Amino acid sequence: MNSQDSKIIYVESCPICGDGLCRIRICISNQKVTGFILCDECEAMWTDPFMHERVPTNADETDPQCPSCRQSIWGKNMHWANIGEICLLGWFDHVQMVEE
Amino acid sequence: MVQKQRQDAAINALRMIPTKWAVIIVVALIGYVLLQPQLNKWFGLSLPSVASLVGDEKQTSQKKQEKPNSNEKTSTTKADSNASKAATEEKSDKDDSVNKAPTSQPQDSQPRDSQPQVSQPQVSDPTIGAERDSEKVHGFLTEVGRNRFESPAGLVYGPGSEEGHRLKHIERHLEDQPKRPGSHGVFEGDMHAFLVAIDDAYSRAKSGDKGTKKIQDEGSTIYEASFKKPIGFLGGQEGGRKRNPPLKQLRIVVRGNSLITAFPF
Repeated sequence: MNSQDSKIIYVESCPICGDGLCRIRICISNQKVTGFILCDECEAMWTDPFMHERVPTNADETDPQCPSCRQSIWGKNMHWANIGEICLLGWFDHVQMVEE
Repeated sequence: MVQKQRQDAAINALRMIPTKWAVIIVVALIGYVLLQPQLNKWFGLSLPSVASLVGDEKQTSQKKQEKPNSNEKTSTTKADSNASKAATEEKSDKDDSVNKAPTSQPQDSQPRDSQPQVSQPQVSDPTIGAERDSEKVHGFLTEVGRNRFESPAGLVYGPGSEEGHRLKHIERHLEDQPKRPGSHGVFEGDMHAFLVAIDDAYSRAKSGDKGTKKIQDEGSTIYEASFKKPIGFLGGQEGGRKRNPPLKQLRIVVRGNSLITAFPF
């Protein structure tokens, strides 16, 4: 097990539900890597770690969709970002880490 | 052997009593046997049965205890197996951690000495009145589709979330996660009590009752409802810093009528 796997990497506590952590979700589809911010509790989404722009979701969706591939955010091609991916996205300065 | 000696002693004692009194005692005893259950029922008394007085108490009470326990076990097993099944089917591509996730019973993995003495949830009358239905998932939810379970108030618990199923997701709020950054609302009680409290809060908030709030947010709706007594405590790192204060409110996030999450706050 990679030591990174036991770490929670997050941007901040969720300003919507107050209980979740806003974490970086990675979508890999069609050889394209996309990152977005997802609250692990209420599933609120933002386009980037500045958290100014929300990703809209529909009330009739059971699972919200990835803003890039339009598949479920809990689908097979999705995972929480690791440090390498966060660096590639240029978002390292926005994150905090804690042992899980 | 001891019982035989007791019987002999009782017979000897009866021989010393005049016949008239012996008849009165026997009649009174028969009357007591017949009336004891009714008196208990009518006046809410707890008069002991003759069996318990004679010494069969242990056996009788054991029989009484065995029944509800076995029912509960059946209910819990079914509920757990359903939720596990749901999670397993949805997350078959992921690791086994979902299946190994805690069962519906809260697990105190952390010492609770530092936590406040929060009373068991007294979530108003609906909670107290809601009995476990062994035919239902967690004694409360009805299966309405593949891995989809509906509460009496109409909340649907279906596949979704990181854990693979919403029931597995909210189960995280039955125990503290002291290392988790920020707040982590912890419900004090088992899964059945949690589901009942969620349903109660959802019904009240949906009706706009006093002490409730409804917030619309990008496709989801957030309901908040207060309870008269604490329903849990604040966990996580922030909760630990604040010495785990008791919580009396419940926040529910839904999309349509599908539950996303729920936790005390």
